[in-house]
Amino acid sequence: MPELQLKRGNIVKMEGLVNLCVKEGKVSIVGGLHEKGSKVAIPRAKSLPVEAESDAVIEYTLGSCGKVEKLPGRTIPREWDVLVEEIITKKPRVVLILGEVDTGKSFFSTYIANMLVRQNLRVAVVDGDAGQSDVGPPTTLGVVVVERPVVFLQEVQPHAVYFIGSMSPAGHILEFVVGIKRMVEHGLEKADVTVVNTAGWTAGGPARALRLYEMELLNPDIIVALQRGKELEHLLKCMDQTKVRRISVSKQVRPRSRSDRTFLRELALARYFEGAGRLALDLRKVLLERCYFRTGEPIDPRNLGDASIVYAEKMPEGLFIVLSGELDDKKAQELKAKFRNLHIVRSWDAKNVIVGLANSNNELVGLGVIDEIDYVREKLAVITPVKDASHIAAVQFGSMKITPGGKEIGTIKPGTF
Amino acid sequence: MTFEETELQRLVDEIIRLLEKYRDDPKALEIILSELKSLYRKVPIYPGIITMCLPMVVKSVDPKQLKEGDEVSLLMKDDRILTGKISGIAQNEVKLVNCFESEGQKPCGERAVQLKDLKEARLFTREILHKEWPDLDFEE
Repeated sequence: MPELQLKRGNIVKMEGLVNLCVKEGKVSIVGGLHEKGSKVAIPRAKSLPVEAESDAVIEYTLGSCGKVEKLPGRTIPREWDVLVEEIITKKPRVVLILGEVDTGKSFFSTYIANMLVRQNLRVAVVDGDAGQSDVGPPTTLGVVVVERPVVFLQEVQPHAVYFIGSMSPAGHILEFVVGIKRMVEHGLEKADVTVVNTAGWTAGGPARALRLYEMELLNPDIIVALQRGKELEHLLKCMDQTKVRRISVSKQVRPRSRSDRTFLRELALARYFEGAGRLALDLRKVLLERCYFRTGEPIDPRNLGDASIVYAEKMPEGLFIVLSGELDDKKAQELKAKFRNLHIVRSWDAKNVIVGLANSNNELVGLGVIDEIDYVREKLAVITPVKDASHIAAVQFGSMKITPGGKEIGTIKPGTF
Repeated sequence: MTFEETELQRLVDEIIRLLEKYRDDPKALEIILSELKSLYRKVPIYPGIITMCLPMVVKSVDPKQLKEGDEVSLLMKDDRILTGKISGIAQNEVKLVNCFESEGQKPCGERAVQLKDLKEARLFTREILHKEWPDLDFEE
C-alpha cells in the first residue's frame, strides 16, 4: 500500500475514490483532527485537502479516478479561521450561513463544526437544503449533532429530520420555515452552537420572502454570507450589519451541473430505498396530513349516480371525488351545481407520490412512495424502508413523484390530494 | 407583505404579455397554449420555471438561421402571416409545407346571419370582476 510522508504544514489534495489511514502523526481534514489509526474514505467526485498538523505518515489506496496531488499552500482562507475564533470566543447560539448554490456551504458548515469540536464544544448542524441533502434523504431537512471529527455530515446519524416533500423551497415556503425552526430547536436543545446551512435559493420574490422571514424567526447571532462577489447584498442590506460576516468562497469549490445535481439526488434516494418493502397502512388508523383527502364528510359514492366515482367526501371547498374512469359531462355539471366545486382525483394519481411517515410524536420515521390507495377498502400501500407499520401514526403528502429506485418522474399540483 | 410568495404573478404577467404580442398569430398562440399546458402538467409546483420557459416557445430569429424541419410563422410585409414547416431553403426563398395563412381581423360593417348556419354562439362578458365580485372591482 502506498505511503505519503508529510512534513508539518504540508498539504495534499486527495481526490476520490481514496481510502486513507493515518499511520503516524496528526492531519487535519475539513478542520477535523485525525490522529494515528484514523481511517477516512473520500468518495468518487469529491476532493479534499489533507493538511499535516505534525510530521505524519498516511497510507492510502486509490480507486478509479482517485488522485493525490501536493498543494503549494492552504486552501482554507484565513478569514474562515478568524470567524471560527470569533465563534469560539463569543459562543453564539445560532450561526446562519447564506450562499448561492455551489458556494461550499456544506464544506464550510462541516469546517466550523470540526473546529468547534476541537474546543470540546457540542455543535449541531442544520441542513436546510432539501435537494442536495447532507443530513437525511432528499426532500427533507435535518439536524445532526457533531461530537467527533467528521469528513462528511452524511456520516453522522441524523438527530431529527423534517419532511418537506419537494426538492426545492419553491411553493413550499411554509414547510421550509416550520421545518428549519423545528430543526434549530432540536439543535439548541442538544448543542452549544447550532450552525444553520440554508438552501442556495437567494433571488426572486419567494426566495427573498423565505430568507428574510426565516431570519426574523431564527434570530441568528451571526449571519455568514458566502459570496463570490456581491450576489447576496440585496438580502444583507435588510439585516443587522453587526451580525453579518462576509466571507469569500473558496477557489476550490467546483460547480455542479443541473444533471449532476439530479444524479446525486437520485443516487441518494436509490440508496435510501435500497431493501425497501411494501407496507399496507389502514387509513382508519393513520392520520393523513397536508392533504384534503379524508378531511371532509364521507358520502357513499353509490348515491352520486355515476359508476366511475369510487370515493367521495364533502368538503367546505366542494366535493372531493375519486374516479376510476371518465365522469360524464352532464353528471359533472350536476354535481358542480349541487356542491359548488368539484375536486377530482383519478384512482391512479397517487402512485409514486413521495410521502413522509411520522410517528405519534409527529417525528419523521422514514420516507415512503405510494404504491396504491385502495379507496374502497381504506388501505394505503407504501414502498418504504420502514419495517414496522405500528411505528407509523401519520402520512404526510409530498409534491414529487419518484420510483422506489430513486428516479424523479414528476411533480404533482399542490392541492391534488 | 411586499414580496411575491409565489412566482404565480410573474407567470400571469408573462401569459398576458404573450397573448398581447401574438394576438394576430393563431398558430403561435396555439403552440404557446400547448406548451403552457404541458409545462403546467409536468411542473405545477414550479411556476418560476414555467415563466422562464414560456417566452422561449416563440422567438424572433434572423431568417438566415432557419433550417429544414423548423416550425415557423412568417410575418409578411403586407401583414399576412404564413405558418408551416420549412421543407426547403434556397438563397432567397423559404419553402413551407402544411401551410396556413391568417389575415387577422377585417372590419365587415353590418351582417345578418342565418341561425341555421350557426355552429355555436359565443357570448362575451366584459368586466367580469365587477359582475362576480363587485367589492374587489377597485377604481384604477
